[in-house]
Amino acid sequence: MTCEEIKPLLAESWAGALSPQDSHALEQHLSVCEQCRAESARLGELWRGLSLLPADEPGVAVRERFYESFSAYRDGVLYRDTSEHGRRTNLRQTLLRIAAGLALVVGGAGLGYGLRSNQASAGEITQLRSEVGSMRQLVTLSLMQQQSASERLRGVSWAYRAEPSDTEVLDALVAAVNHDTNVNVRLAAVDALRTFGGNRAAREAVKQALSGETAPIVQVALIDLLVDLKETGATPQLRRVASDDAADMGVRQRAEWALERLQ
Amino acid sequence: MITVGADDNVLMARVSAGELSKLAVLFERHHRGLFRYFISLNRDRQLSEDLVQDVFFRMLRYRSSYDPTKAFTAWMYQIARRANLDRVRDKRAEIVGIEEFTGRNLEPVSAAPGPEENASAGQDLGLLRRALDLLPADKREILILSRFEEMKYEDIAAVLGCEIGAVKVRVYRAMRALEQIYFGLEKGKAS
Repeated sequence: MTCEEIKPLLAESWAGALSPQDSHALEQHLSVCEQCRAESARLGELWRGLSLLPADEPGVAVRERFYESFSAYRDGVLYRDTSEHGRRTNLRQTLLRIAAGLALVVGGAGLGYGLRSNQASAGEITQLRSEVGSMRQLVTLSLMQQQSASERLRGVSWAYRAEPSDTEVLDALVAAVNHDTNVNVRLAAVDALRTFGGNRAAREAVKQALSGETAPIVQVALIDLLVDLKETGATPQLRRVASDDAADMGVRQRAEWALERLQ
Repeated sequence: MITVGADDNVLMARVSAGELSKLAVLFERHHRGLFRYFISLNRDRQLSEDLVQDVFFRMLRYRSSYDPTKAFTAWMYQIARRANLDRVRDKRAEIVGIEEFTGRNLEPVSAAPGPEENASAGQDLGLLRRALDLLPADKREILILSRFEEMKYEDIAAVLGCEIGAVKVRVYRAMRALEQIYFGLEKGKAS
């Protein structure tokens, strides 16, 4: 073996990953090459010295912040999953109600009284729903104005509870996507905007946000959202990203992929 | 139920399948290593702590993309690397190379004891720390992954997107560069 061929074997020997065959070859070379033997000894000593360097430790707040953000994220995911299940359940309940209503009409008994009662109860439910909606909006908006990124992340997870017609929450999410300094909050806000996918203003906001975003991970999330929403009107923005020399290569490729999907 | 002895790959596969609470075990196992990786690259405690949060957040968000047949640490450090690049881009900061360090009054980032206190095996660990800090970022990164995180070369190859043979050569070159800086500093100290 030549001196050049020995170098990768030295690296393997430091990591304790030499095969018996390579170990034998290395020993043989070192026994006859004084220069490599000296270098192996010097570098081996430095390698051992590296393991003696004291490790830098993170502050205790790292753990606290992780569990806060983690719990906020998990709440958002759980709520989203539960409400999807809830929507399916509601559909079943609606169908049952229609069937029951038909049965009532066919039966023809107590119809007038039933209608009056239902109207009163529907009014209460509407009022209750409105109050709950306001409370969710209040929690979402106040959390999203907090200084701590973990709290803002929690606010974004609350946005999943908002009604798709809630324009104030939508505006707060759009503001977070466009202006939040924390990339995780921006990313979570893009995900939450999906809930508002049926809203024209939300789709416009996603398109505009793509033009102003610089973090590749958020750019990719925005592009994916535009594809999921089948937003064919985003072609000009996607073309700009795809041909932007300053953009990240992965983002440009994703934009090209999106253009193909939206054609 | 926390699976204390479970393999990282198994735990991440369970996170991927929806058991999000298992991420806490992975956090406890890896957040210090990630912090060391970041602080060795950027020398900024606050930024490094933020980046640790970024990595775990991204692991959650992209949990469905995890392939349990591949090494978890390689996947995690790929995410870490990406997060670091994104922050650098975001902040218009830079990973400082050796040229930019010339002439700077470099403060060690750790609260490590001074050189007099930890001389060992004929080496001055304070100087070794300074030499490591003075290495160009790519060389420092590969030494952190191989020496501090004790990652297998094949996993490092997956993180860096190169062949395993290239990793071995790069580790060797990084050690040679470290040696030159170390002995340069030692000479300067003696004179």
